[in-house]
Amino acid sequence: MIEAQGLVKVYGNKPAVQGVSFTVQPGRVTGFLGPNGAGKSTTMRMIMGLDRPTSGDVLVNGKHYAKHRAPLREVGALLDAKAVHTSRSAYNHLRAMAATHSIPTKRVHDVIELTGLGAVAKKRVGGFSLGMGQRLGIAAALLGDPQTIILDEPVNGLDPEGVLWVRNLVKALAAEGRTVFLSSHLMSEMALTADHLIVIGRGRIIADAPIQDILNNRAQRVRVRTDRPDVLTRALAGEGVSVEAREPELLEVSGVPARAIAETALAQQVLVYELTPLQASLEEAYMDLTKDEVEYHSGPVADVHDHAGNAESGRHAAVAAGAGQEGN
Amino acid sequence: MSAATLTPQAGRVTGHGVSFPRTLHSEWIKFTTLRSTWVLLATTVLVMVGIGLLGGWGIATGLDQMESAGQDPAAAGMDSSLLYLMTSGGLDFGQLIIGSLGVLLIASEYSTGMIRSTMTAVPSRLSPLFAKAFVVAVVAAVVGILSSFITYFLLQPILANYGREFGLDVDNLVQSMLLSGVYLAIVALMGLALGSLLRNSAGGIVTLVVLLLVLPIVAQIIPFDWVQDGVMPYLPSNAGRQMVMLETADGDLTQWQGGLVMAAWAAVLLAGAAVTTKARDV
Repeated sequence: MIEAQGLVKVYGNKPAVQGVSFTVQPGRVTGFLGPNGAGKSTTMRMIMGLDRPTSGDVLVNGKHYAKHRAPLREVGALLDAKAVHTSRSAYNHLRAMAATHSIPTKRVHDVIELTGLGAVAKKRVGGFSLGMGQRLGIAAALLGDPQTIILDEPVNGLDPEGVLWVRNLVKALAAEGRTVFLSSHLMSEMALTADHLIVIGRGRIIADAPIQDILNNRAQRVRVRTDRPDVLTRALAGEGVSVEAREPELLEVSGVPARAIAETALAQQVLVYELTPLQASLEEAYMDLTKDEVEYHSGPVADVHDHAGNAESGRHAAVAAGAGQEGN
Repeated sequence: MSAATLTPQAGRVTGHGVSFPRTLHSEWIKFTTLRSTWVLLATTVLVMVGIGLLGGWGIATGLDQMESAGQDPAAAGMDSSLLYLMTSGGLDFGQLIIGSLGVLLIASEYSTGMIRSTMTAVPSRLSPLFAKAFVVAVVAAVVGILSSFITYFLLQPILANYGREFGLDVDNLVQSMLLSGVYLAIVALMGLALGSLLRNSAGGIVTLVVLLLVLPIVAQIIPFDWVQDGVMPYLPSNAGRQMVMLETADGDLTQWQGGLVMAAWAAVLLAGAAVTTKARDV
């Protein structure tokens, strides 16, 4: 369990986190989603006591992290895959970490085995790929068999097999009743992994809800195929309704339920040969939530998707810019 | 590699907590598992022994030549007590390597990000700093003492050629050889403190060299009395040099005073390192 109360962190004049409050519950995977520079890593560093909050407070398992008698057995964290001396071997790194809590060498071997580092454990970490570095960071996080696991961008640099492995791992950890707090800027990954989402943008919490609620909150879109799109478009027009022509006979309607569209079509004597309610993707929901909160906006990409309109492609470009590695 | 191999006891918070001896053990593992540590330590011993032997051989040759030329070495300020000092004659160079080791021990953790792992495992922050201090001070002392004794024993056969060998029963000789270990320990602590304060290897090493080598030279060429009498003797390497003397002149710092002044430098720097380690974000 992680409880943050009014966390604020200001670096110089630049506010990184501005009054963040949330609770991460055990037994489920909580995703921490936000664009680059939104304050995810800073918040996680404050949880781990590495950064001192400018104001506010955060407790892990009921105490400040630093107040725990055996912190590694309470909380395991992957904050930065590079938090390892590059000249030391993975095995010796884990052994040194384990020694602080008298964690037996067997456990070191276990986490090396678990994270698939067996073949490279005796090699210098400096030669590791980004993915192997992530695995080592996860191994270190699991070393103390902790109740709470905090992972900052754990799938960064992992191959598809590794991504799947992390997804199954965090789900299994949550299923065991542990608290799992996972940050990412990749909504697609979150959609598959998290049960609950905390969305942060520009240092503020934008949403804190079960992932299903975040998806449902978005206006329902319906795909309509009709041979008279012009008539139907006019008939559906109204407050809060948007109709976009995707293809000559394909419309995407939002703001009107599927049944009401069918009724309108019936009244207008228009033939409809497809009427499909669309599940909003998390990506769309996320873009809606964060469109004003992206720190680094990209310029619009002209004419890449001419059917989508300029505003939309501009937004997609902003996500593309967010797909790189988090800088802080 | 499946999640099923996780240990089943969820939420288990039993077992050992953090303690200073465990932190010390961890720091010892970290210290000994870097190849650079061993390279620097071996280099220190080699350099110190090498310089001590060369110095001893040179002095013995010089004394011999003066005597055979009918000169009195004492009139030129030379006597066999200079030979005794050669047991720790490599200290000036050895201190630079050991001091650098102290800087690197902590600055490399900041540059690689390792410090975040360290501070996560031991969040009280001061324990890892003091455990590092303990490890590096003890190792530096052992290296210093070892080098002095190796130098002593290798020097005797060389000096025997000149009939100038000496025993360990020379007044204060063993004390001086032991204190050369203390000298290196203090330098290592100064390096560690500077590395922690500056969080930067190059900056830490340069600052240490300024403190140990440059300041004494600068002070020497400033002709004011208050610098000569009030500053010079209290610079860390000058005070430390008094500590390893076999005998000190009247008016100079005694061995004890020199040692305490040098230790005060390390203590002040370490206190500063402790305060900033506690206060700053990692």
